[in-house]
Amino acid sequence: MEYPKVEFFTTHAKLEAGRDQTVDVLIRITPPALSPDLSTRPNWKGRPDLNLSLVLDRSGSMEGEKMIRAREAAMFCVNQMLPADRLGVVTFDDRVEVLFPSEPVTNKQAMKDLIARVTARGSTALHEAWVRGGLTVSERMLDQGINRVVLITDGLANIGITNTDEIVTQSMGLYQRGVSTSTIGIGADFNEDLLMPMAQSGGGNAWHVVEPDDMRHIFQTELEGLIAQHAHTVSLSLIPADGVRIVDVLNDFDLTETGRYRLPNLQAGSPLDIVAQLKVGAEDAGSQMRLLDLRLGFTPQDAKQAEVLKQAHTVEFASQVENSLVNDEVIKAVQFLMNARARNEAMKRMDAGDYAGAEFVLGVALTETRAACASFAAMPAVMEECASLAETASSLKDRLQHKLSRKKLAYAAHHRQTGKLDQ
Amino acid sequence: MAMSVLKEKGRKYVGLPEFARVSGQLVSGLQLEQQRGTVTSVPDERTIRYYLAEGLIQTPEERQGTASVFSYLNLLQLLTVKKLQAEHLPIRKIRELVAGKSEQELETLLGVRGPAGKKTEAKQYLESLLAPAPTQAAAPPPQHLDASSHSWQRVEIEPGLELHVRSDYAPPATTGKTRGLLERAIHRLRRLRD
Repeated sequence: MEYPKVEFFTTHAKLEAGRDQTVDVLIRITPPALSPDLSTRPNWKGRPDLNLSLVLDRSGSMEGEKMIRAREAAMFCVNQMLPADRLGVVTFDDRVEVLFPSEPVTNKQAMKDLIARVTARGSTALHEAWVRGGLTVSERMLDQGINRVVLITDGLANIGITNTDEIVTQSMGLYQRGVSTSTIGIGADFNEDLLMPMAQSGGGNAWHVVEPDDMRHIFQTELEGLIAQHAHTVSLSLIPADGVRIVDVLNDFDLTETGRYRLPNLQAGSPLDIVAQLKVGAEDAGSQMRLLDLRLGFTPQDAKQAEVLKQAHTVEFASQVENSLVNDEVIKAVQFLMNARARNEAMKRMDAGDYAGAEFVLGVALTETRAACASFAAMPAVMEECASLAETASSLKDRLQHKLSRKKLAYAAHHRQTGKLDQ
Repeated sequence: MAMSVLKEKGRKYVGLPEFARVSGQLVSGLQLEQQRGTVTSVPDERTIRYYLAEGLIQTPEERQGTASVFSYLNLLQLLTVKKLQAEHLPIRKIRELVAGKSEQELETLLGVRGPAGKKTEAKQYLESLLAPAPTQAAAPPPQHLDASSHSWQRVEIEPGLELHVRSDYAPPATTGKTRGLLERAIHRLRRLRD
């Protein structure tokens, strides 16, 4: 089996000797590339089998463009699936209906015909619909494939169980039993404080679709992510050497019940950047030190057993450190994760009604990013980050945009912390 | 490894030496890292006795002659303790995680759940979520009742330790509360010993 690659980077290649210091360590986890390796895995088709349930909101607010695009996206999904995959569709408003139960994707036209008849009506029984979607998946659990519910909604749960904590806890409970949940929120009126944690605890992805036109693109990203999934149930422990202390892990990961960092699923083609800040005591020039031991626990998609990858990072101390020679990737990773925190801080201020404060926080983040990344300002990722901060900051001036701005902040912060590429 | 642990399901081990031998083999199979030389990676009889005293492994109720009869649950408790130790967790935290857990929960913690278990688990879970919420338990019995109207039952936990239960006592409803109760009990016992 191919393991993910773990690399360590520090701002300077060597640490300065003779003084206490705080060191940013970038830990980059790169899942192996997706390759149909027929020689080593006889039954491997190049991607895991999928067992999906689309849970589609058809409440009144979906009427018009949103409903049309959601139907199109669902049909796109049908088109992309293989006969070995399974798909079920659940629709919901105040009633929850199984449009069709989990079936092999062999008769695509029949599935699409059924989807075409879904129109908007009624209010939003989100919880029950999600449970029903989970049930269609759980009828035919795949051992090694991916069992997932994709919940698509533009509204607030207002029928049945509506308590956020309760639904999020259940989503985690279901993930622990082998079915993950992704959520797609459309527009400005859904509850990101429900849909994001639901996907995060549910082992899936959280997406925000601003314009109905983006639906299809998000579906494609979600499907590609499923196909590229390398490992799930990923956790990390960092064990500092004696005399070294972990001050902070900038990604703000949740902890597992055994105190490890809970990491997102590993996807081929999506490296995950983690930054740990360490306090390191004074060492002699020329000496070497094993700074950090890393243990990465994960369950590969094509295996039943959890694996543990162990690696250590050793650094060298030098009497002088060349200040001009810094690692851009470390600077960028630190700054982007700090910006994720700034976005969360801005959200808090918005919630407190302090819009000027929120705008100020984002302005500071923008200034800091420009300063820190000045020597590589032309890097596309840096330009996008600056544009995103500037745009959200200015959108805060518009009262009508507040709900949407908050969602943009929430999702951008989450995607940076979990290594998801922005849409 | 998963299979070999699950194969032990339902088995009993008569006496400490037998229990130590089987669990030793399984622990070697777990390929746990030895923790900085402070903890032996394969449990011997002494270690197991220590775990029993610390309440990390539940004391077996069943006996054959003078020998304790250890169960599959005891085995899972021991393996989980070893696994969590290898993950550098303190004993206090390990006790919290292991105490009061069912076989199923320990299998999940160990990461050895069989696919068969998993297959129906999600479905059962979701069905339980759809079921209407259980109605509130009957109103608690009125307070300040004359104590003489209750009877007490004595339960022997192990030689030398008895539990006295009043007839109107209801055991804790959740795993969390059970764990809390066990911890309080262990704490009280310790204070007696110290």
